[in-house]
Amino acid sequence: MEKVSAEIRDVARKLLEEDKVDLIIGFEKGSLPFRATPCSIRDPKEVERLIWNSGCENNLAVYIPKKKERIGIIAKGCDSRSLMGHVKEKQIEREKLVIIGVPCKGMVDRKKVDRVLDGREALEIEEKSEELILKGHDFEEVVPKGDLLPDSCKTCTHRNPTLFDFMIGDNLDENKEADEFEAINKFEARSSDERWEYFTREANKCIRCYACRNACPLCYCEECCVDNSQPQWFGKSIELTDTQVFHIMRAFHATGRCVDCGACVRACPMDVDLRFLNKKIEKDVRELYSFEAGVDIDQPPPLSTFRPDDQDEFIK
Amino acid sequence: MEERNEASWEPKILAFLCNWCSYAGADLAGISRIQYPPNTRTIRVPCSGRVNPLFILRALQDGVDGILVSGCHPGDCHYLSGNYAARRKFAILDRLFEYIGIEKGRVQFSWVSAAEANRFAEVINEVTDEVRKLGPAKRLVKKKVE
Amino acid sequence: MEEKTVSKEDFFEFLAALTKDYQVFAPVKRDDCLVFAQVQPEDEICLDYHNTKRGVKEAFFPQREQLFSFNLGNGDEDITEPSFPDTKRVMFGVRPCDAKGLFLFDRVFGDKGYEDPYYLSKRANTIVIALGCSQPESTCFCIDNKGGPFATDGSDLLLVDLGDSYSVQVITEKGEELLKNEDKFRKADQNQVRLKEEIVEKARAFLKPSVNPEKAKERLDKNFDDPIWDRLHEKCLGCGICTFLCPTCHCFDILDETGGPKGERIRIWDSCMFPQFTLHASGANPRPTGKERLRQRVMHKFKYFVDNHGEIACSGCGRCIRYCPVNLDIREILGEIQGQ
Repeated sequence: MEKVSAEIRDVARKLLEEDKVDLIIGFEKGSLPFRATPCSIRDPKEVERLIWNSGCENNLAVYIPKKKERIGIIAKGCDSRSLMGHVKEKQIEREKLVIIGVPCKGMVDRKKVDRVLDGREALEIEEKSEELILKGHDFEEVVPKGDLLPDSCKTCTHRNPTLFDFMIGDNLDENKEADEFEAINKFEARSSDERWEYFTREANKCIRCYACRNACPLCYCEECCVDNSQPQWFGKSIELTDTQVFHIMRAFHATGRCVDCGACVRACPMDVDLRFLNKKIEKDVRELYSFEAGVDIDQPPPLSTFRPDDQDEFIK
Repeated sequence: MEERNEASWEPKILAFLCNWCSYAGADLAGISRIQYPPNTRTIRVPCSGRVNPLFILRALQDGVDGILVSGCHPGDCHYLSGNYAARRKFAILDRLFEYIGIEKGRVQFSWVSAAEANRFAEVINEVTDEVRKLGPAKRLVKKKVE
Repeated sequence: MEEKTVSKEDFFEFLAALTKDYQVFAPVKRDDCLVFAQVQPEDEICLDYHNTKRGVKEAFFPQREQLFSFNLGNGDEDITEPSFPDTKRVMFGVRPCDAKGLFLFDRVFGDKGYEDPYYLSKRANTIVIALGCSQPESTCFCIDNKGGPFATDGSDLLLVDLGDSYSVQVITEKGEELLKNEDKFRKADQNQVRLKEEIVEKARAFLKPSVNPEKAKERLDKNFDDPIWDRLHEKCLGCGICTFLCPTCHCFDILDETGGPKGERIRIWDSCMFPQFTLHASGANPRPTGKERLRQRVMHKFKYFVDNHGEIACSGCGRCIRYCPVNLDIREILGEIQGQ
């Protein structure tokens, strides 16, 4: 980790000193144990702030849309795929972007740490290569990192950045065994009533804080459909059906764009299962249109193109 | 939507018909005096590609029992590719609805040309029958103020 | 007022008995999440966690609340005002920071001339039994905001966990009334008083002062146009977690939801972090970017509210720190401002 951090700093310093970019977007040490927090660095003297560890959970691509400056950005596999989406959707010119890719073995899910601790607070967290040591008032617990991976990291098939200018460290072996859609297949096999009940339960947890939307790099619309007031498509309160419509639209709008980085899930304060919608659409897009987001920069997004022989069975 | 009485319940179906094909098909069905159930209310749209999923969701929230979106046959779109784009969008939406537990048949799609008056009546017959079998919509229906 | 003590066994029996005459709310686990919910005698109250994710504010100021309903179908205005239920409630296990939130709400919703019956009726019918924090968390900074792990503002009774028993501090008449005929609540003996003092001391020692809101306010009084705000908001995503989970945030939006001629006027929580917060009908927005919006959040808590009510509108519960998706820490913001 230290080696990666040092290499990131070197590249960042060079980019700033040689005036290749106006700012670097990366991670610095956060205020809570093991938390890393996004930071922008404009002065080469400040690159020492940059760090890298398994607490770098945010998808920094969220900061790209509408930026006018030349940006150097640290990108994990999923982040780089989001960046490819931004380039494709013309949110930034490729020339204005310097991507510093970092192969990633998966981040640590804060909520899973909380679940392990069950009410106790970790005052210090230490990262060893394959485990995390959680220390609190009167306990010390060693937990394998595998148990703390976010669900999206568990089934990740693109640990290595797909779009980059610099690559820090060696490429990792991709996870070939991961059954990405196992949970979705299981869910589909449940009855319609059960599925509706589950969706209802999850929507009921939502407090409409829009953290899922705002943490998502794709949600850069000038005005979100939920904020539209003329017409107001659906209500803004926590009334159940309004919340359900919001979640349907949020997932639907990410069709063929979502890279399953899990940023929405990690941002959600209420542990709403947001991924079960996104992943379903991802599966259908794969099945119907053989498309995977953020992998091939020349392949057009699935909903902005078509084939005359697209699947038609559901239409009368 | 007024209060529902289970016994005398008749499904309310909203049909989004594309101006160039399905709406003209419905028109021809009318001119030709072809009988079909009166349960549908039509909203004319320029193209099936115009139909935003929000239209469908809003209608469901407001309590319609069924929705039909109908456009030109593939290859016949007045705007060349509007219905192709719509088809991809609706394929995803159709699967998503079923996945979250909206009954299959609540939201339907069809291609009906301007010349297919009989087919239009058939589609409406089928959709009405299917929605009737499903019963009044309950899922995603927003509770009204008493 | 008087210090009492009660064994835990007796206390929970007392609480269970209260469910006959009161709706009793306490922290319980539902779906893996600790929430304040109404409990029955058989429910297991969970006090292992430091605090619930969502505080008690929604029990007094719900996220969605009907103000009145209307029917325009009869030709003339037909308005139905809601009834204010006189259900008596007891909230047990409220942390002093959340009780402080209610204390601040009392200033907002009970402001003379602007009394809010929706809030005040619920507040009047509720007895708050707070539980002091013997083991505060690292995100707690109540002591910086004129509060503390055993502060009494907003509570009717304050309990301190002494192991097998609770020390009970009676704070208001409402609290005293509740214990009037309870002989299980005895006068604390010297040992118990000493034990309580030790626990209080230990908790206070854990909390190190981190910010100085008074000093920060001196800067806030004159740094409205300061370039520091350009930097501070940079990583903020603009979501509503900090404000919605906050025990003191109380901004709301009022809107009509109609279906045909019938409808209701509701108020829902709003957040200064949202772009629509001060969006005018004309399309103009005095707070067009994240910069102005974050500034508003800080200013409202540490300057405007102080100017208007003489209190800091932050109880230091630390939820905004713990749940922020990008770890934007309000203590660091204040630190930067006061260090300017």
